[in-house]
Amino acid sequence: MKVFIAILLKELLSFVRSFGLVFIVIYFFTAEVFVAATGMEMEAKNVAIGVVDKSAGGISKKILSSLHSPEFQTLKFYTSQKELSDAVYNKEIMVGIIFDEQFEKNYYKKLNPTINILIDSTSASQSLMAIGYIQNILMKFSNLKLPVALKMHKLFNQNSDTTLFMGVSELLSIITLLTTILTAIVFVKEKESGTWDIMLLMPVDPKIVILAKSLSQIIIIMVGTVLSVGLILFHSLNVPINGNLINFFILTFFYVATTAGIGLFIAAISKNVMQISQLSIVIMMPIIFLSGAWTPVYAMHPLLQYLSILSPLRYYIEGSESIFFRGSSFVDLLPYFGGVLILGVFLYWFGFRKIGKLF
Amino acid sequence: MRLRVVKAYFIKEMIELIRTKMIMMPYLMPLLIVILFGYGIKMQVTGVRTLILDNDNSQISRKLILKFEHSKYFTTEVKNMSEKEALREIKKANIDALVIIPSSFEKNSLKGVKTEMGVFIDASFPSRATTISNYIQGIILDLANDFHMDSSGVININTRNLFNQALRDEEMIVPGLIGMVLLIAPAILTALLIAKEKEMGTIFNFYSSPVSRGEFLVAKLSAIFFLVSISIFIIFLVASYLFDLPFRGSFFLFWFASELYVFVALGFGLLVSILASSQIVAIIVTLMLTILPAFMYSGMIMPISSMSGEAFIVAHIYPVMYYNHIIYDTFLIGQGFSSSTNILYLLLLFGYGVVLFTLGLLLLKKEIK
Repeated sequence: MKVFIAILLKELLSFVRSFGLVFIVIYFFTAEVFVAATGMEMEAKNVAIGVVDKSAGGISKKILSSLHSPEFQTLKFYTSQKELSDAVYNKEIMVGIIFDEQFEKNYYKKLNPTINILIDSTSASQSLMAIGYIQNILMKFSNLKLPVALKMHKLFNQNSDTTLFMGVSELLSIITLLTTILTAIVFVKEKESGTWDIMLLMPVDPKIVILAKSLSQIIIIMVGTVLSVGLILFHSLNVPINGNLINFFILTFFYVATTAGIGLFIAAISKNVMQISQLSIVIMMPIIFLSGAWTPVYAMHPLLQYLSILSPLRYYIEGSESIFFRGSSFVDLLPYFGGVLILGVFLYWFGFRKIGKLF
Repeated sequence: MRLRVVKAYFIKEMIELIRTKMIMMPYLMPLLIVILFGYGIKMQVTGVRTLILDNDNSQISRKLILKFEHSKYFTTEVKNMSEKEALREIKKANIDALVIIPSSFEKNSLKGVKTEMGVFIDASFPSRATTISNYIQGIILDLANDFHMDSSGVININTRNLFNQALRDEEMIVPGLIGMVLLIAPAILTALLIAKEKEMGTIFNFYSSPVSRGEFLVAKLSAIFFLVSISIFIIFLVASYLFDLPFRGSFFLFWFASELYVFVALGFGLLVSILASSQIVAIIVTLMLTILPAFMYSGMIMPISSMSGEAFIVAHIYPVMYYNHIIYDTFLIGQGFSSSTNILYLLLLFGYGVVLFTLGLLLLKKEIK
């Protein structure tokens, strides 16, 4: 036990002493999360929009006056269709609206007036959403009597605020990335300078050395997570939490230990830092890919759905989202805990065995 | 600059890259990222798990359910349970949307009285929720069109999706990914090559030998430049054959812009490696400077034109935006050299590279600190 604590403290001390590393870890957990959360916007907001209005009437002006912030920027007017499409081609605007001469006349005659819309669909999701907005606005002018009024409830995030979502998911990916790299590097640094073999030959039990070393990195990540959740998520971004924060930290601890296991494995098969950087990308990418971070698991190919059971990140992401947004109770969270725990025990044991072997 | 020295150094670097298996770096990593992300990121929402509670059980409500069932966007389930239980299903993340058809639905709609229909959507993933709510609105509209309704006053919308008619995710993501990997791979490789020598102490060979700074840099960087240049063609083939992207622009522009961009990326890596003292710091700083900006300011997730404030300024400071504009142009738009914006952006990329290299050359000292 004394040895364990000594090694643990030694590792923590050597971390604190390398200012560059401390700075980087703090940067990732604070500034990076903040930048990603506030910078990424997946909703169509502030869309640059251009107009050619040949109808010269009141109706088109009325319609245009409903296209305003936060969804749209101030309208840019063009005199000809050519200018408008040039602007779309050069990506100065994303949506171009054209009212033709007949528009006003047809509108009053109830002859189905037509609006032409050009969209730069290189960013498909936003262009679709922008069209959705315009359609909604036009509906109001169409005096169509719908029999149904939809009462939309966007649960857990009424305003579809991307900041909350991006903040949490960026934190999760940073935890994944840093845990793997930090754990792997602690071991490989010793390998590179040749002290690892000496370590294993010492009268100290190598198991204790490995445990203490990886625990030290887990502690660093956990401290970073607490910092990030407190300072950035809660303080700066005002992310609400509907579930129990303790559950989140327990889940994070299990997950970090699991990822540390992957780090151990990477350290075991790589000889230098360079190889770590390659291997961690090669190994982590599929794990992230299969986790459902970008595509929900149910929308994947059936074969991939089965494979995704093996990605610890899947349980972690779903679990954390449930805690933060859905406010699930502990019982509902049990599958996530179970998934992370089972994979974690296996991965850690595997990495542990690999790194503990001499030569 | 003595060519003989450069050549010798170049060969030495190549042998070292091959022996340390680092030669995989410019090939394996970009391919992996392009393939995985290209298949992985789906902005289109399909197969939304929808639960419908039909309290009306009438002809109209069944018609509505049929509409949901026939849409490829929804995977529908009709169940008989209380609202509370259904909401719990959302909490457990078993369903994404819940539609509750009220009991007097048919009666009211025949009378022409407005009925309120409750829709609950899991908005943990906000943009997905917005899309789902648009889909549901579309279905209701469709239903209304099927019944009565004189649609004479309705404004028709004639939409033209330029550049990506089918709204395929691949066409929208993959060009952006090329901009990402061609920045990351060369930058990391460069940063590591010099930081490694520093950490191992072999940098003293350079300090004490008669090799000049220029020769040292040219030799080291041209090795990477050469490797990544081959990678450009491989990635192009993957994009156009595996992902079936159209290629509407000029290939020369694509190639030339890519080489310029790799040149900029090398400059990035060079600066990082001069400032970083160890390999870990070099890797992490490069990742920090490349991955997130390459993602955020690429126009892949969010169009540059709809950015505001600092984001707009930062996007213009980073080189990614300029390259991506050209890449999207060559793949999807096809204006080529006839667009002055493309030429301006090429010049900007060139200027960017020159500035980075001059800085690197000035900061690289042939002495022990």
